[in-house]
Amino acid sequence: ENSPAPLPERAIYGFALFLGSWFGFILYLIWAYIPETWLFSLGLTYWPQKYWAVALPAYLLVAIGIGYILLFGINMMSTAPLNSTDTITDNYAKKQQQKKFQEDAIPALRDIPISEVNRMFFLPEK
Amino acid sequence: MEERRYRSASGAPIALRRRQHSASCRELAVRCPRLRLRSLSAATSAAWLAAYGLFVLTENSMVLSAAIIITLIGLIIYLHFVKIDQESLLVIGSLGIQVTSSYASGKESTTFIEMSQVQDVVINEAIHMQKVIYYLCILLQDPGDPQGVSEVVPLFQSSKPRLDCLIEVYKSCQEILEQRKTAPQSS
Repeated sequence: ENSPAPLPERAIYGFALFLGSWFGFILYLIWAYIPETWLFSLGLTYWPQKYWAVALPAYLLVAIGIGYILLFGINMMSTAPLNSTDTITDNYAKKQQQKKFQEDAIPALRDIPISEVNRMFFLPEK
Repeated sequence: MEERRYRSASGAPIALRRRQHSASCRELAVRCPRLRLRSLSAATSAAWLAAYGLFVLTENSMVLSAAIIITLIGLIIYLHFVKIDQESLLVIGSLGIQVTSSYASGKESTTFIEMSQVQDVVINEAIHMQKVIYYLCILLQDPGDPQGVSEVVPLFQSSKPRLDCLIEVYKSCQEILEQRKTAPQSS
């Protein structure tokens, strides 16, 4: 049902967005470049100040730049510190059910406790 | 008593010293590299050059005296609170585990964990800054749940030994911790 194939509705949405974005761009150019007096003589007196035609793109670019740094910082803050139990286990591992061991069957998937993993890796088997 | 050289996670040379006091008591000490005269002189010269530059700009001689005082106080604070000389782990089989950090100024800070609170000593991997490091930690028992872990106490935080050194420490600790399973004393 949800395929990315082209549909007539999607073609119409795409064309409407295409026309809308061209209209918005031409409107932005008119607002930014046509002198104020010419706009007043046409009767368009209540448009925002032209200052914003430069300020908004500047704000947007700075916000994108800060966004990169902010995302990096949020990542570092959400990383569990070395002394938290989140590095060892979590709610799903604590509540997991132990399935019965069946002969000749692949053992069920489960979260192995860290003590057991350590013994297997670092203590030599006799 | 033996001493072996290893490397820390950042590449600095560290030394591990193992002492066996008795069958159920072991002491493992990791010694960090000492403060180098080169880096100390470099930092001091950089600070004083910056202060002299400020003095040339502002023509205020207080900048120079302030720089000297800040450098001295900064060095004392660094040696007393930041620079760790040696971190040691004393495992006593039936009693507990003692963790000691000795600072460069001679200060020692100790933590003792009773054996009944210790569930296990394991090597854990975690993300630290932009790296994934191995570190040794003590898992403390959750009083309500025998399998649960209530707290994680990371060890050797300043020296950050690499996996080869950690495996040696881990094996030594496990030899003592296994004894409490095979020979449970009263309570």
